[in-house]
Amino acid sequence: MALTTNSGAASLTGGRLTRDAIGVLAILAVAVLGYFLFPNNLALLTRITAIALLVLSLDLVTGYCGVATLGHAALFGAGAYGAGIAAAHFGITDPIAMLAAGILAGALAGLVSGAVVLRAHGLPQLVLSIAIIHLAHEAANKASGWTGGSDGLAGITPDALLGHWQFDLWGRTAYVFGIVLLVLAFVILRQIVRSPFGMLCRGIRQDPVRVRAMGGSVHGTLVKMYAISGAVAGAGGALNAISTQVVGLDSLSFTLSAEALVMLVLGGTGSLYGALIGTAAFMWFEDVVSAANPFHWLTIVGALLIAVVLFAPKGLYGSLAAVFERRGRKAP
Amino acid sequence: MQTIFSIGVDALAYGMVLFVISIGLSVTMGLMRVVNLAHGAFAMIGGYIASYAARDLGLAYALAVLLAVAGTILIAIPIERFLYRRIYGQPELTQVLMTIGITFCVIGIANYVFGPTLKTIPTPDALREPVSLGFRTVSAHRLFVIGCGAAVALGLWYFIERTAFGVKLRAAVDNAAMAAALGVRTEIVYAVSFAVAVGLAAFGGVVGAELLPIEPYYALRYMVTFLVVVSVGGAGSIPGALAACLLLGAIDTTGRYLMPEFGEFFFYLAVIAIVWLFPRGLAGRAK
Amino acid sequence: MKKLAFAALAAALMGGVAHADTIKVGVIGPFSGPFALQGKNFKAGIDAYMALNGNTVGDDTVEIIYRDVPTADPAQSKALSQELVVKEGVQYLAGFYFTPDAMAATPLLEQANVPMIVMNAATSAIVTKSPYVVRTSFTTWQTSTPIAKVAFDGGAKKIISVVSDYGPGIDAEAAFKAGFEKAGGEVVEAIRMPLQTNDFSPIMQRIKDSGADGVFAFLPSGPTTLGFVKAFNENGLKDAGIKFFAPGDLTQESDLPALGEAALGLTTTFHYAVSHDSPENKKFVEAAGKAIGNPAELSFPAVGAYDGMHVIYKMIEATGGEQDAAKAVEAVKGLAWESPRGPVSIDPETRHITQNIYLREVAKAADGTYYNKEIQTFEKQGDPGLEAAK
Repeated sequence: MALTTNSGAASLTGGRLTRDAIGVLAILAVAVLGYFLFPNNLALLTRITAIALLVLSLDLVTGYCGVATLGHAALFGAGAYGAGIAAAHFGITDPIAMLAAGILAGALAGLVSGAVVLRAHGLPQLVLSIAIIHLAHEAANKASGWTGGSDGLAGITPDALLGHWQFDLWGRTAYVFGIVLLVLAFVILRQIVRSPFGMLCRGIRQDPVRVRAMGGSVHGTLVKMYAISGAVAGAGGALNAISTQVVGLDSLSFTLSAEALVMLVLGGTGSLYGALIGTAAFMWFEDVVSAANPFHWLTIVGALLIAVVLFAPKGLYGSLAAVFERRGRKAP
Repeated sequence: MQTIFSIGVDALAYGMVLFVISIGLSVTMGLMRVVNLAHGAFAMIGGYIASYAARDLGLAYALAVLLAVAGTILIAIPIERFLYRRIYGQPELTQVLMTIGITFCVIGIANYVFGPTLKTIPTPDALREPVSLGFRTVSAHRLFVIGCGAAVALGLWYFIERTAFGVKLRAAVDNAAMAAALGVRTEIVYAVSFAVAVGLAAFGGVVGAELLPIEPYYALRYMVTFLVVVSVGGAGSIPGALAACLLLGAIDTTGRYLMPEFGEFFFYLAVIAIVWLFPRGLAGRAK
Repeated sequence: MKKLAFAALAAALMGGVAHADTIKVGVIGPFSGPFALQGKNFKAGIDAYMALNGNTVGDDTVEIIYRDVPTADPAQSKALSQELVVKEGVQYLAGFYFTPDAMAATPLLEQANVPMIVMNAATSAIVTKSPYVVRTSFTTWQTSTPIAKVAFDGGAKKIISVVSDYGPGIDAEAAFKAGFEKAGGEVVEAIRMPLQTNDFSPIMQRIKDSGADGVFAFLPSGPTTLGFVKAFNENGLKDAGIKFFAPGDLTQESDLPALGEAALGLTTTFHYAVSHDSPENKKFVEAAGKAIGNPAELSFPAVGAYDGMHVIYKMIEATGGEQDAAKAVEAVKGLAWESPRGPVSIDPETRHITQNIYLREVAKAADGTYYNKEIQTFEKQGDPGLEAAK
């Protein structure tokens, strides 16, 4: 490309595009590696992909907008039930259409919970988000005619993807579908977070008063971001519904919300890479230790979290980036 | 009418149990600015110690309570020294990660050492007798908890507002650097406050065990309840926490009486309504 | 021994070559988290069976692989089942404490050619989800129906039903109502309370106000049971003579030390009491108690797992260690044996276990411990839940 001869602004964009391309390539490389190294673990890998979408979406509001929430699974669960109910009750079994239903349901849930959560700040905000996830959980439990209640929503049988690829026992289709979805989401989110809109969000996180003084709409911007975040989480939920063909109340649980937050902080907030690395690291670690000792693995996970705070306080990605930066500076 | 009184008594008792168990968290979160999700873990440690002392060693209830408080503080000292000191003043999310990690570890260890079954703390006969209030009976233990709640609220209020240590604590909270410059040893202030908070957690865990039984998952099971109650009250405020506990206790109890099948809705809708009206908590101060 | 030799011979004849294989059994259950105790019981039951019957069937060695699903989490359960089948190559899937976890794995069975042995999950419909599901535990309908007759015969005509608001609770409510109304009684009120209830005093007030002369209750075993029973006593309902009926989940043995005095005299119906008096049970309790470490922690999931292993051993015997789910399931249809809980058989139609349901009362033993004392037997009970669903 002839970017070098272009103006500074254009080369800046070019540099970013290259970085994005590297990011996409990195995700694809890890995905292909996972496919060939663990061909028998694709179900787990698909699950990691679905949760990665949830954590990415959480990063949008927590990392970029500074909203503290322990209720983000509400958006994920809305997507999962949206896709599941579309399939089980309305006969919409095309995976793409189910995905669309999930994204729509997630975005709607994002709008609603955004409108509620943004009312307060700090701890009370956290509590609002907790209230939302519990209300959503109870509502799904009550509406058992639609959701299957605590027995879970069964009877979801997605058609073959694009009429060609069946969702089978080995989960290859689901995995590829998930990875494509993740890459798409990643590319779109990269564009969003660096757009003027994304910059405005960062500005709000750092100093909402100043943004307001400049004439920016704090509340409106954040609600918009919440809806986008809901769409991403909804896509994750839909992927989960399509690949496991069951939706349980756990997808609307406080536990899942808290786990997502832990994964995000583990990876490092405010960076999409951090979200991805945090999810993959946490879930992989959990799988390994819980398979090694199904009875006492929780202690080891706890120790890992403590160790991360002690030795990598900015999260895995943040601390890694800091190390590289220091090295880079030392080098002549 | 009788029913209303009866529900009122239940609501008061439940609110006070909530208060006794969560007030320690209000101290760590409001005064020390640490989102301490491991609060329940300390309450649980207290419960286990008391259970061991009273049930397995056959000690008196009062002695068991004392042992539980002292023992939990003793266990907490190294944890404070090596772990909590690293997260004072850190971003909230880092604190969340650390304290959840501690909670997981404590759950795992409790499960390993004490097994997964429920542990009870035998209460003295005097607390087991039902007491007649004229229109109904209520267990003496509930009255005892109400008394404990009142005593804790008064004592803590006196400690923070009226003693020299309280002054230092409030100074250290408002501006640690300035307090240190004026000769307040903030490290010691923090360590002592932490010990007080942990002691209160243990005390609450033991006294509240009749309602929230001790088992390894205790630390996570009730974490949300503690967090909600304290935040609704406005972290760091004792009157706020008391008001929140009584209010939420009353709403919860009434909701569960009138429409038990929607009990959960009542509680959390009330939480949303309160935070909506008081975005900083009932007694929250502007930053 | 004779049976084993026969099985080995059969395997040799059928397979042509009888080479020693390792047959893997994947067990999914809650081994950590709030239900860790129940998962521990799974393991104790399995260990006990293998301690008593050896870890080989014919020439084949049986190996158990455990996977943890701490709370009801169908997605996790399905991912782990898939992993067990595809990666570990298990020939049998077993365990499953929660209904949604079992439901999530049923679509895999046919394609994977793997039978599922449900060792706990108690919703009637699971067996209808796949022809390869066999259940060795119980259903909530099965254990809650007889207590309705007990309540009516005991003189209670008006009952208030109080259950936890989730699948099994609603099953229990429906089962009791059906049974009690058939007997001629009346359920005056049916209350569903949230799973997360800490203070039961307001519920007790409701029971008082309803004017019922008895209460039917269902709560999942664990901390809430303790709160419920204590509130029942402290609010003076016990002294007021209100009768208490429940399925045995409420007085499972591992909760009894904590319930203590408060549970004394509670009547429940269930398929298994650790105190059951038979030589089979004596052997089982000794072995399982050793496996679990602390015998006071032993309760019903252990017997479900123990009998589940029996079914799996019979399946391995019948297939000679070859992977053939259809044949394995066919072989245990109608299988009858003497379980620690009493005589049981697998219903050939439903593939659910037919068993005795016992009426028990919590009593104090000579050494000061509490136990479920069996006082009446309802013989050969099937699952009324499947009928009711039709």
